[in-house]
Amino acid sequence: MTDGQGKNSIQEPLVVVVVDDDESVRESLPDLLKEFGFTVLAFSSADEFLASKSIDRTTCLVLDIVMPGMSGLDLQAELRNRGRKIPIIFITAQKDESVRKRVLAQGAVDVLLKPFSDTALRKALSKAMGED
Amino acid sequence: MPVQPESPAEEVRHLRRCISDLVSLLALPATWTGGRPSQIVSNSLDALVSMLSLDFAYARLKDSSGGAFSQMVRVGSGWGTKPQPEDFGEKLQHWVEGDFQKLPSVATDFFGAPAITLVPLLLGLHGEIGIIVAGSQRLDFPRQTEKLVLSVAVNQAAIGLQESGLLSAQMLVTKELDQRVAERTAELAASNEELRKEIAERKSVEKKLRQEEAGLKRTEAYKAAILDSSLDCIVAMDHDGCITEFNPAAERTFGFQRNDVIGKHLGDVIVPTHLRERHRAGFVRHLATGESTVLGRRIEMTALCADGKEIPVELAITRIVEDGPPSFTGFLRDITERKRNEDALLVAHANLARSEERWRLVFENSAVGVVLADFNGRLLAANPVFQKMMGYTEDELKQFTFIDITVEDDRDFNRALIVELIQGKREQFQLEKRYWRKDGSLVWVRNSVSIVRGIERSPGFLLALSEDVTERRRAEEALNETRSELAHIARVTALSTLTASIAHEINQPLSGIVTNASTCLRMLDATPPNVEGARETARRTIRDGNRASEVTTRLRALFSKKTAAFELFDLNDSVKEVVALSVSELQRDRIVLQLELAADLPHVLGDRTQIQQVVLNLLRNGWDAMSLVEDRPRTLLIKTECEEGGGARLSVKDSGAGIDPEIEKKLFQAFQTTKTDGMGIGLSVSRSIVDRHQGRLWAVRNDGPGATFLFSIPPGTNT
Repeated sequence: MTDGQGKNSIQEPLVVVVVDDDESVRESLPDLLKEFGFTVLAFSSADEFLASKSIDRTTCLVLDIVMPGMSGLDLQAELRNRGRKIPIIFITAQKDESVRKRVLAQGAVDVLLKPFSDTALRKALSKAMGED
Repeated sequence: MPVQPESPAEEVRHLRRCISDLVSLLALPATWTGGRPSQIVSNSLDALVSMLSLDFAYARLKDSSGGAFSQMVRVGSGWGTKPQPEDFGEKLQHWVEGDFQKLPSVATDFFGAPAITLVPLLLGLHGEIGIIVAGSQRLDFPRQTEKLVLSVAVNQAAIGLQESGLLSAQMLVTKELDQRVAERTAELAASNEELRKEIAERKSVEKKLRQEEAGLKRTEAYKAAILDSSLDCIVAMDHDGCITEFNPAAERTFGFQRNDVIGKHLGDVIVPTHLRERHRAGFVRHLATGESTVLGRRIEMTALCADGKEIPVELAITRIVEDGPPSFTGFLRDITERKRNEDALLVAHANLARSEERWRLVFENSAVGVVLADFNGRLLAANPVFQKMMGYTEDELKQFTFIDITVEDDRDFNRALIVELIQGKREQFQLEKRYWRKDGSLVWVRNSVSIVRGIERSPGFLLALSEDVTERRRAEEALNETRSELAHIARVTALSTLTASIAHEINQPLSGIVTNASTCLRMLDATPPNVEGARETARRTIRDGNRASEVTTRLRALFSKKTAAFELFDLNDSVKEVVALSVSELQRDRIVLQLELAADLPHVLGDRTQIQQVVLNLLRNGWDAMSLVEDRPRTLLIKTECEEGGGARLSVKDSGAGIDPEIEKKLFQAFQTTKTDGMGIGLSVSRSIVDRHQGRLWAVRNDGPGATFLFSIPPGTNT
């Protein structure tokens, strides 16, 4: 367990939310995040996430870009419209430099290209939690 | 002045002296016989001066002819100066010419003498011989005795002079007579000579006349022979314009009988009615002025025949020069036949000239370059457009063959086409190629070349219509560059899209695998190890690995089973579109593309774009197969045909390297290639496309060089 996790757990459980239409990601990623010590919630679509009550508890969002219905980019915009400043780590299977630049400009923490390593994810999470 | 009376003794002395003087005077004429008048006068004057002691004695003699006169003077011993008869004559003018009876007998201031008494004496009864003036300063001059002596002396002189005059007159007459006789004699001799000449002349004239007569007879015979046998019509007329001769040829030609027309006015016989007035006026004018518009030259006009027909004749009129009024001979020839030939020839010439002119104008005003070359390629003619295009004059161009001015790279191909043209393997061809202009720059031309075979004496030639397409080529090249850039971009884009979608499909399960594996390791590393969790994540890793495998299977399925946009389409149109896209590149590589598209080809059902890819692929293969061909034309034939039992067949025939037997069986397998820059998937992809259309793709060897690739697809009867 890291120091960060311990410190956070004392105050309030840090909830990391995963939104991805791919089932395998929804199965595998939460496990890894739990191993990191986070409380994890997973949703298969942006609409599902917005409809849940978890939005207020979310300290970091791990968000797929390409999804049926509302895309990751749409969700990012929606959250900004709602005044929610949740740090977002985008994950995508498609390398697209223009999209990457766009989301970073909109305040995204990082864009991870699938498949990504656990260290890359950990690094992005640290950044999102303001630990850098 | 008063005269002093003489003493008697003195008077006696004077009388004696007078008688002695008179005797002397009477003796004088005896000495004058046969003497000249000047001698008589001289003697008389000398005698008077000495006898009467005169100061002077002057004589003037009239000439027998009455005009001029001669004068003479004698002076006494007391006279100072040497006397000049002319001076005396002048001084005595009044006495010798005037009425001297009324003149004063004393002259004052006479050659220095204060006063001198002058006594004029007439020679002859009325002075017809002359006059003598005696002068003396003596106061008593002339005394009675002196007057007597003076008058006797003058009489004696007058008699002597008269006798001398008669004598000379006689002599004159004799001389004159002699002269007349001599003259007459000479005249007679001359006339005698003249007579002889005249006789001789007359003889010669007679001889000549006799000869002329003989000659005339011969001439008449000749004339008759000529008139009778001449092929030309000979018509003669006199100065009244009446016919005097009308030879047999004239009879045959004009149909008149000689006897009927002789004596008739020519103008009323063979001159056509409408020309008669002109004929008459011209004839009258000629007779009046000698002017003529017809004499002495060959003219053409119309003549009237007995049957009323008018015929064109050639006419020459000669004027016969004679002593009397002129006569005329006309030589006429019927030129109807010749005229007809001439007219026909003229029409033919005019037609030919018009035709030639028209073709020349076409040549010169053509909007495209027109060039003629012989079979060796030597340029024979080039129109202004071509000259301007090339910057050469026509004469300069004639120094070249078309090969000389063609850019080196384009020559072999061009030459091969010309050879085929001459050998009759083709009727014409189109070719785009480059020429060197005079200024060293290049011009792209589109040439349509055809052959004109020689006929008879006119040799054959090559005819090229040449159009400057430099601008179009530049535009096309620019367009092609843009197009290939675009194509490249499109390919890259398509590929990257494909790559991205494949990556997405693969990366999703991969991502799961990596994440699960990471989780698994962490669980095993924990103390105590979370074996159950690790097993679960490992199980999921395997599952995701299977999923990734499924993805690739699905992708392949996606590509192979991709629902193509099947539609009914015209294969010919598709072929034309493919060719249109490639034609400039084909030309660049000097490939002659021929299309033989079946007009009745049925529409086929399929993916038009995919079929076009197949056509392009086959075209490209044939094209590449000829890239090294240099010894023969690079020809590509694309042909569409109706398949037996419906459907369409397309073949692409090249003249390239042909099919290597070693790879023949593997021809349609992927990654088989003879090209250095290819992937070897063209034919395999093409075959799979054709297969998907329930068609067939295959290849055959040509009889000649190269190979033919064919595919057939069934007709589009249903979906």
